[in-house]
Amino acid sequence: MEFQLLAAGLAIGLGTIGPGIGIGIGFSKAMEAIGRNPDASGTIFVPYILGIALTEAMAIYALVIGLILIFAVG
Amino acid sequence: MVGALLASGVLLVAAGWFVRRAERVPGRLQSLIELPIEWIAGIVRGTGGKRWAEFAALVIAVFLFVLVANLIGLLPGVGTVGLAHEGEHGEPTLVPLVRAAAADLNFTLGLAIIAFVAFVAWGIRANGVRGYLKELLIAEPAYMTPLLTPIHLISELSRVISLSMRLFGNIFAGEALLAVMIVLAPLLIPAAFLGFEVLVAFVQALVFALLTMTYITLAIAEHRQHESQDEHPGTEPERKEASPAPGSA
Repeated sequence: MEFQLLAAGLAIGLGTIGPGIGIGIGFSKAMEAIGRNPDASGTIFVPYILGIALTEAMAIYALVIGLILIFAVG
Repeated sequence: MVGALLASGVLLVAAGWFVRRAERVPGRLQSLIELPIEWIAGIVRGTGGKRWAEFAALVIAVFLFVLVANLIGLLPGVGTVGLAHEGEHGEPTLVPLVRAAAADLNFTLGLAIIAFVAFVAWGIRANGVRGYLKELLIAEPAYMTPLLTPIHLISELSRVISLSMRLFGNIFAGEALLAVMIVLAPLLIPAAFLGFEVLVAFVQALVFALLTMTYITLAIAEHRQHESQDEHPGTEPERKEASPAPGSA
C-alpha cells in the first residue's frame, strides 16, 4: 500500500511538469500577443482557454492514473 | 447530487422568473442575468461556424449549469449542513448534504456523456451515418487505416474521460485545497484561495462549455473539409439531402 501511494504521488507530480511548462508557454505567448495588439485580447481569449484546456488534459490523465493507483488497484 | 439538483432548481426558478418579468428594455437585474448569456452566445457565434444557432442553447445551458453548481459548492457554510454517519472506525462523521456537485465523478461523467452524445449526434446529422462512420473508421490514405483507426477511436473516447476528469479534478482539488488551507492557516489566507476557487469555477465552466462547442463544431465540419479537398461532385447533393431532413424532425 505504501508503494501505491508513492507511485500515485510520483504519477501526479511528474505528470504535471509537462503541462505546467506547456501552460506557461501558452500563457506567455498569449500575453505577448495581447501586449503587441491589445485590441485582439477578445479574439485571443477563447483559443487560449481551449489550448490551456487541451494542455491540461495531460495532467488530467496523470490524475486519473493516480486515482486508479490509490483506489482501484488492490 | 443535492448540489446538482439545487443548481438546476436555481436555474429553473431564475428562468421562470425571467420569462415572466423580462422586458424589452432591461432593468439592472435583468442586465446582470443577461450579461453572461450574451457573452457566451457571442463566443459561440464567433467560433461555432455557420450552424452555431443549433447548438448555442446546449452550450449556454452547460455553461450556466456547471457555473451555478460550482458556485453553490463554494458558498461558505454549505459544507456544515449534513447528515451524521458512523465512520469506518465507529467515530461520528459528517456527510455534507450539499457539496460542490462537480466534486462527484458521477455528475461530471454524466455531463461529459451528454456532450459525447451531442457531438456524435451532430456529426451524424451533418454528414449522415455513412459519412460519419467513414470519417471515423477509414483514414485518409487508405493504407493507414489499421494504424490510424484505433488512435481515432481512442481519441474520440478519451474526450469523455478528459472532459469529465478535468472538471472533477479541478473542483475536487479546489475543495481539498480549501480544506488543507483552513487547517494550516485558519484566518484570512483561505479567503484568498476562496477567491481563486471562484475564478477556477468560472474558468472550468467556460472550458467545459467551450470544449463541448468545439467538439460539436469539429464533428460538423470534419467531413465538409475533406469533401472540398477531394472535389467529388457526386457526393455533394447526397449530403445536402441528408442535412435538412434530421433538422426538420
